Amino acid sequence: MKTGMIRRIAVAIDCSPCSLASLNAAAEMAGMLRAELIGIFVEDINLLRMAELPFAEEIRLYTATKEKIGTEQLERLLRLQAREARQLLQRAAEQFTIPHSFRVSRGIVPEEVIAAAIEADLLVLGRSGRSPSCRKGLGSTAKTALAKGKKTVMLMRPGFSVTTPLLVLYDGTEGSRAALETARDITRPGGTLHLLFTAETPEEKTRCEREAVSMLSGTGIRPEFHHLPLSNGKRLAQFIRMIDSGILILSDRMGLSDETLRNLIDEIDYPVLLVRQP
Amino acid sequence: MPVPARLSTDQLYTRCDPERFDFRTTADLDGASEIAGQFRALDAIRFGMGIMHDGFNLFALGPSGTGKQTTVQQYLNRLAPEASRPDDWCYVYNFEQPRNPKALRLPPGKAGSLGSDMEHLVETLFSVMPAAFSSEEYQAREKEIRESFQEQQGTAIEELEQKALENNIALIRTPAGFAFAPTRKGEVLKSEDFMRLKKEEREAIEQEIERLKNSLQSIMAQIPKWHRESIEKIKGLNREVAGYALKPLISELKSAYEGLDDVIRYLETIENDIVENFDQFLEKEPSPQETFMGLISTRSGQKSRFFIRYRVNVLVDNSSMTGAPVVFEDKPASQNLVGDIEHASQMGTLVTDFTLIKPGALHRANGGYLILDARRLLLEPFAWEALKKALRTRHIRIESLAQLYSLVSTVSLEPEPIPLQVKVILLGERNLYYLLSTHDPDFNELFKVAADFEDELDRNDENQLAYARLIGAMADREKIRHFDRAAVARVVEHGSRLAGDATKLTSHLQSICDLVHESDYHASGQGRDTVIAADVQQALDAQLFRASRIQERMREAMLRNTILIDTDTEKTGQINGLAVYSLGDRNFGKPSRITARIRLGKGEVVDIEREVEMGGPIHSKGVLILSGFLGARYALNQPLSLSATLVFEQSYGGIEGDSASSAELYALLSSIADIPIRQWYAVTGSVNQYGEVQAIGGVNEKIEGFFDLCHQRGLTGKQGVLIPASNVRNLMLRNDIVQAVEDGSFSIYPISHIDEGIEVLTGVPAGVPDAEGNYPPGTVNAKVIGRLKMMAEKQKKFEERHEDKE
Repeated sequence: MKTGMIRRIAVAIDCSPCSLASLNAAAEMAGMLRAELIGIFVEDINLLRMAELPFAEEIRLYTATKEKIGTEQLERLLRLQAREARQLLQRAAEQFTIPHSFRVSRGIVPEEVIAAAIEADLLVLGRSGRSPSCRKGLGSTAKTALAKGKKTVMLMRPGFSVTTPLLVLYDGTEGSRAALETARDITRPGGTLHLLFTAETPEEKTRCEREAVSMLSGTGIRPEFHHLPLSNGKRLAQFIRMIDSGILILSDRMGLSDETLRNLIDEIDYPVLLVRQP
Repeated sequence: MPVPARLSTDQLYTRCDPERFDFRTTADLDGASEIAGQFRALDAIRFGMGIMHDGFNLFALGPSGTGKQTTVQQYLNRLAPEASRPDDWCYVYNFEQPRNPKALRLPPGKAGSLGSDMEHLVETLFSVMPAAFSSEEYQAREKEIRESFQEQQGTAIEELEQKALENNIALIRTPAGFAFAPTRKGEVLKSEDFMRLKKEEREAIEQEIERLKNSLQSIMAQIPKWHRESIEKIKGLNREVAGYALKPLISELKSAYEGLDDVIRYLETIENDIVENFDQFLEKEPSPQETFMGLISTRSGQKSRFFIRYRVNVLVDNSSMTGAPVVFEDKPASQNLVGDIEHASQMGTLVTDFTLIKPGALHRANGGYLILDARRLLLEPFAWEALKKALRTRHIRIESLAQLYSLVSTVSLEPEPIPLQVKVILLGERNLYYLLSTHDPDFNELFKVAADFEDELDRNDENQLAYARLIGAMADREKIRHFDRAAVARVVEHGSRLAGDATKLTSHLQSICDLVHESDYHASGQGRDTVIAADVQQALDAQLFRASRIQERMREAMLRNTILIDTDTEKTGQINGLAVYSLGDRNFGKPSRITARIRLGKGEVVDIEREVEMGGPIHSKGVLILSGFLGARYALNQPLSLSATLVFEQSYGGIEGDSASSAELYALLSSIADIPIRQWYAVTGSVNQYGEVQAIGGVNEKIEGFFDLCHQRGLTGKQGVLIPASNVRNLMLRNDIVQAVEDGSFSIYPISHIDEGIEVLTGVPAGVPDAEGNYPPGTVNAKVIGRLKMMAEKQKKFEERHEDKE
């Protein structure tokens, strides 16, 4: 896919810290690519169904006390959240002067997010959302988006930005070239771009370097090369952590198995942009 | 009784022979300006400064301008360098009680270095602390603690979530918390589906959910505890890292101040405080430019105020001192003595801190000597009490006067008092010393030594040379012209004139210094390099001229006969007395006509001045003495049957003193004896009941006053003044008078007894009584007795006629 085709960026907003980071990253990227920003807010149907149950009760987060919860009250709270999400989107869009739209849907959250993003070229969402366990790994929506989504997806987390030096996983495949193209489009001239080559032989590595240099020529981007012969996802994650750069950009059509890819994305505590080609 | 001879010129003025000096000009002298002749005062100063017990402070008393301060300072300047250098003092932040800043005592020169060391420490920490806290090790350990908390929390909830899932129950995040709901195929059961379940199933689900809720509640109850624990762990880590970064810096400081227990304790307190507040060093202080341009925000303002606590306020820095300090405080206000706590305005409110504590003169003089002017001290509100309190308690306690008297209401400080060991020297006039001594019970306790300065010095070679040295030292110090020895001699002569005694010199050195300055001015006008006697004389003449306006107006009135003073004829019962007028620091003499009239009476002498309450008690006493003399000499065998009235003609102000009593007696005798008095004489001197003439003050001014009048009317050779013989030693007359006496155109007679004076004044012998007590016929005394006898008889006849009628 040519990244020039990213015209619409969908971002899932649930007002959690991860989704705020997603919104900021999506807005920054839309600003750079002159793309449209689509905000998605999903009213969790499970939540509404729970409230309809006769014994519905919630346990308050900061007091640990039980409180009755009703549909009406819940709907009001969801409306408030949606309004907050819309305001956040507006503010971000105004900051980067980009066209934007906002959609509210109701249903099972991962499915609704994927469905709403179907017309977008890129879906941005948090690595984890408002999941109960504050888990370290991927949230349910992120997992579903990775497993079932067909579009390029970016999983964000707080503390990172699109402007921090990106890291591209490059193995010379068509998929990795697409990843590098995407990285090139969202890196400012004069910025640094890390490239991690997973070539197994020095010759292959040299070839990859040549390709990369040729692709980046004339952009003003300063590449920094790293090399790790392809191994399992855990080692790769370790090495990426050592490089300590920003968003990791990779492709689903590289020389990595689906399992390694999933393990890598799950294991690594960095934001990830997974480039998918139609 | 023989008439005394007129005084010779050498008795009128005691010259100072310049040839007695073995220098050519004062430039040949060594420039030392030690005060001579003040043996008593110097002995007291030596004693007061030498004795180390409490309360032996010194009061140097004497008229102003007698060189008290110079003498004391000269003595202390010799003494102080040999004494040990006192310690430095500084105030530091009190971490336990910030309202009571701590006083730290350090060896001389160490306070300043502690101040700069502390500044350096804070500066260093701004680089050391961020480096320590941004190190990979710290970041990793901190992340580990945070993640372990997240993990602990996440694991507990995940386990519960898992357990719930096993029973087809989902843990759902609500906007404000958590909830549980039964699921089917990953979706929450709709309520109608739930209601379709069997009652037992529903109850089982509800029970399970209730159990899960309880479990979740207990997990959530644990979360704050885990959070606290992780915060404690992070705090512990921070302390460890900050302590590790700080330790070498503090150790370095501790070794620099080894042996100074207070400083070591202070450094330990600082170490603990910095470890507790390490985060303050992670962000840079606002730059001075920001502060200057007013860009400082409230937060950064608070931040910069925070670092004040690590500063050192050096009150006393004796690093450059040699020996003990000698401090003269020119403005001894309370806050200048004991120090002050200043306030700064911040956002419209007054704030203060220990760095705004200002030292006073007592701090600077601690361990040495403090010289104060007593009058100025007493004029400053609360200053005297503050000084006494400090001396009594032997501590300097800084109190804000405004705070003490509720003039401002804001947060203030109570700094720890500083031990005081100081010798205070008060300089003041005698009346102040005696007033304080009488009315202030503390004074005698605190100022046990009095150094009484002489008003006059003996006029001997040593003191004459001291005058020359004083002039020489002034010339060196103030870069004015040196005096040649004739000029010095003229100054010495003027010193005698100021003392009012030819055998003394004034110790009022201020007058001498003024004369030196003025002489230098006139010498410069003449384009001379050295001051000569003529310059001194010109300065004296100019001084006289500047001050002589009133004197000249009075003389003019006499010349116009507005004020009647006869200097030409002979008159009965009338005489020229001499009075002295004091205007500021200038005195001048003026003749006054005194008249006496007699009539029959009961022997009383009426003083008209006293009757109208224009005469002072001493004057009245003098007049009453006249009755005693008349009675004892002339009324032993008959009653004194006269009444006499005495008056100072044309006097419109009060009269005090008995220096006119001899003149009054002469007028009275002239009136009784009906013998005219020669008006070309003027008389001064008091008299006792035996007719002896006694010394008076201001003899030079009195003679000059009469001479000036006669001189303007024209000297005839007859004119002169009768003065008490005992005043001859006080004569230091003007050169023109000495010249007139030498020419024979003016005379001065030393009179010891009234009989001598009356003979000079009338030209008639007073008469000496024979063995029977009878005076020779034709003498003044015989005429007086004859007239009194006649009056007594008349009185007797009158009384007899009066009794017959009755």
